Amino acid sequence: MKAAAFDYVKPRSLDQVISLLQEHGDDARLLAGGQSLLASLNMRLSEPRLLVDITGLDALRGISVQGGMLRIGALATHTEIESSPLIAQAAPLLAAAAPHIAHRAIRNAGTWGGSIAHADPAAEWPACLLALGGTVVARGPKGERRIAADDFFQGLYATALEADEVLVAAEIPLATAENWFAFDELARRRGDYAIVGMAITGRRRGGVLADTRIVLMGVDSTPRRARRTEALLNGKTVDAAIAATAAASLRAEIEPLPDLTNSPGTKRHLAGVLLQRLLTRACA
Amino acid sequence: MADLYPIRVTVNGETHQCSVQPRTHLADFLRETLGLKGSHLGCEHGVCGACTVELNGHMVRGCLTLAVQADGGTVNTIEGVSRAGVIRDLQQAFVQRNALQCGFCTPGMLMAAKELIEQRPDASRAEVREWISGNYCRCTGYHAIVDAICEVLQHRRAATVRTEASA
Amino acid sequence: MELSGDILVGAPRTRVWDGLNDAEILVRSIPGCEAMEVVSPTERTARVMVKVGPVRARFTGHVRMQDIRPGEGCTLHFEGSGGPAGMARGQSAVSLTDEDGGTRLRYTVQASVGGKLGQVGGRMIDAAAKQMADQFFAAFNDAVGGKEPVPQAEPALAPPPEPQAPAVEAGAVAAAPPPVADAAAVHVPRVVRPPALPAPAPVGEGVRILWFALGVLSTAFGAWIASMLSR
Repeated sequence: MKAAAFDYVKPRSLDQVISLLQEHGDDARLLAGGQSLLASLNMRLSEPRLLVDITGLDALRGISVQGGMLRIGALATHTEIESSPLIAQAAPLLAAAAPHIAHRAIRNAGTWGGSIAHADPAAEWPACLLALGGTVVARGPKGERRIAADDFFQGLYATALEADEVLVAAEIPLATAENWFAFDELARRRGDYAIVGMAITGRRRGGVLADTRIVLMGVDSTPRRARRTEALLNGKTVDAAIAATAAASLRAEIEPLPDLTNSPGTKRHLAGVLLQRLLTRACA
Repeated sequence: MADLYPIRVTVNGETHQCSVQPRTHLADFLRETLGLKGSHLGCEHGVCGACTVELNGHMVRGCLTLAVQADGGTVNTIEGVSRAGVIRDLQQAFVQRNALQCGFCTPGMLMAAKELIEQRPDASRAEVREWISGNYCRCTGYHAIVDAICEVLQHRRAATVRTEASA
Repeated sequence: MELSGDILVGAPRTRVWDGLNDAEILVRSIPGCEAMEVVSPTERTARVMVKVGPVRARFTGHVRMQDIRPGEGCTLHFEGSGGPAGMARGQSAVSLTDEDGGTRLRYTVQASVGGKLGQVGGRMIDAAAKQMADQFFAAFNDAVGGKEPVPQAEPALAPPPEPQAPAVEAGAVAAAPPPVADAAAVHVPRVVRPPALPAPAPVGEGVRILWFALGVLSTAFGAWIASMLSR
C-alpha cells in the first residue's frame, strides 16, 4: 500500500525540531532511519500530517567516549554500531547483538535512537541498553535531561520521553576486563523479531558473578529484567547445576504474554532454555 | 498541505531535479518518475528485499526510504550497476547456475550480493545464507543463488591471490 | 488470541454491576472511546480511537450479548471489520463475585483476528489488548470505587464529559454530568457522544486495529446491555 499524504520538513537545528513538536503535537512524527515508521505509514496504520526529518542534525551522530561513558548518538545506524571498533572493544554486547537486527539493508538505515525511542519489546537495542544500565539523553524545551534505562521503558511502545522531547543520544558504561556478557535470540528465521531473546551483563571475578543483569526480549510489553534470578546468580560460580537452577528460577519468575503463534508456556520454556545456554556458553 | 517538495538526486550517474510528493518512496520514484523498473515492489514494508537499491553507497529498502530523503544523494539501481559491469561475474554465475526463474527477486538479490562481496570478501557459505536471508525468492529454493554467490566469492579471492602473488 | 484477567473493584457487587451498565462510565473508562450507539436492546456499536506506539486507528465495534445473569455476569459476542485491513471476531465473559474489600471482577476473551492486522500485528495483540484492558479497569475502578459521584444507572441521554486524554498512560476521569430526567428503555437509536469532537471520520479513513479494545469494549457493553434487559 502507499502511505497517506503528509508534509515533510528537514530542520537544521534541534530547537526547530522541538518547536515543531510543540506546535504539531501528535500530528507530527520524527523521522530518523524510518525503518519502523515508514513501514507503518505504508500500511496506513498511522497517518501523521507532518514528518520531521532529524537526519540533518549532525550533533546527533557519532560514537565516542565522553566523560568516562560511551556516548552513541541517536542517529548512529545499526551498521555503524556493528562495524565500530570502539564498540567492539568498549561495548561488545552491542557488537554481538547488532547482526540479529533485521537484515543488512534495514541496518544500513535504522538508528540507535530510533530503536530505543520506539521501544519495541522484542527489539535488541532497548534490551541491551537496559542490560548495560545505560542512560538516555533527551532534549526538550526545558533543556537536556538524563533518564536511566531502568526508568525509561514504561509500557508497550511507551517511554519516559515527553511528547516534545527528542532522544539525542544514549550512553553506556565502558566495559572493563571484569565485565562479561551474553546475547542470543530464538526466532523461526534469521532476522525475525525474537520469540524470546536475552541479553545478560555482569561482572565476574575469579569466576564469581556480581552485578548480574538479565534482560528478556519478547516476553512482556517492555524489555524485562529478571531480578530474582539475577540475585540468585550473584555470588555464585556458574556450573551445570547452577545454570539449571537459574533456568528454573527464571521460568518461575516471569509471566510471559503470548503472541498469535506462541503460548505463554512456550515462551516460558524458551526463556529457560536460553538462560541455560547462555550461562553455559559464557561461563563453562 | 504542501504538494511537492523539490529534490536533486543522482541516479546511475545522471542528476535529476524533480518535485515529488513527500509520501512517495524511493522505489516508486525510481520506477514511476524515472522509468527504472528494475527495482521491484513485493511487500512494501521492508521484509521481502525485492526493492533493494543502493543509496549513498549502502543498500537500502527502496520502499522504506522516501524520495525526499535521497535529496542531495546518490542512488544506484540494478540498471546502473549492471551497465557499469561491476557485477558481470555475479550475473553470469546466476545464469549458469539457474539462480533465477521468474526473475522477480533477482535485482534485489544481486544488489544484496554485490554489497556482500564488497564488505565480506571472505564470507563462508553460512554467512552468505545469513546475508541474503533478507531477500525472498519463491522460485529457486535459494541453493542455486547461494552456489552462485559462493562461486563468485571463490573466484574473486583466487584472483586476488594471483594478483598479490604476481605483485 | 486469549486474554483473561481480574480486578478487585472497591465497591459492592450491585454498584459494580450498575457501573458496568452506565454508558457514561463506560465511555469515560474505555481508552479513546469517542461515541457509542444503541442499535437495539441487545446490540451496541461504538467508535474508539486507539493509540499504541505510532499506530493511530479509529475503529468501530459491534457487540451482541447473551446469557445475562443480572448482578453476576454475562457473555458477549463481538465482531468488527476493517475492510482490507483485517477483521476480528470473538466472545468474552465477565463475572462478578463478592470479596473482602469489594467485588472481584473476572473477564476472559477469546478472539480470532484475520487479515493484515493479524499478520503484521500478531505479536503485539496480546500485549496491546492487555494494556487497554488494564487502562479500562483502572479508570472503571476509579469511577465506581467512590472517587466521584456515579449517576443513577439509566442509559445516559446527556452527552458524557470529555473523553480521556489520548496518551496511552492517561487515566484521568472527568466529572460526571447531571443525569437527564427522561430515561427510558425506548428502542430508538441513540448516540451517546462526548462533546467537542469532530464529525465521525469517513469510512475511507479505515477501520483498524479493532482487536485492541474489543475485549474491553465487549465486556463493558455486554454488562450494560445485561442490565438493560434485566429491568
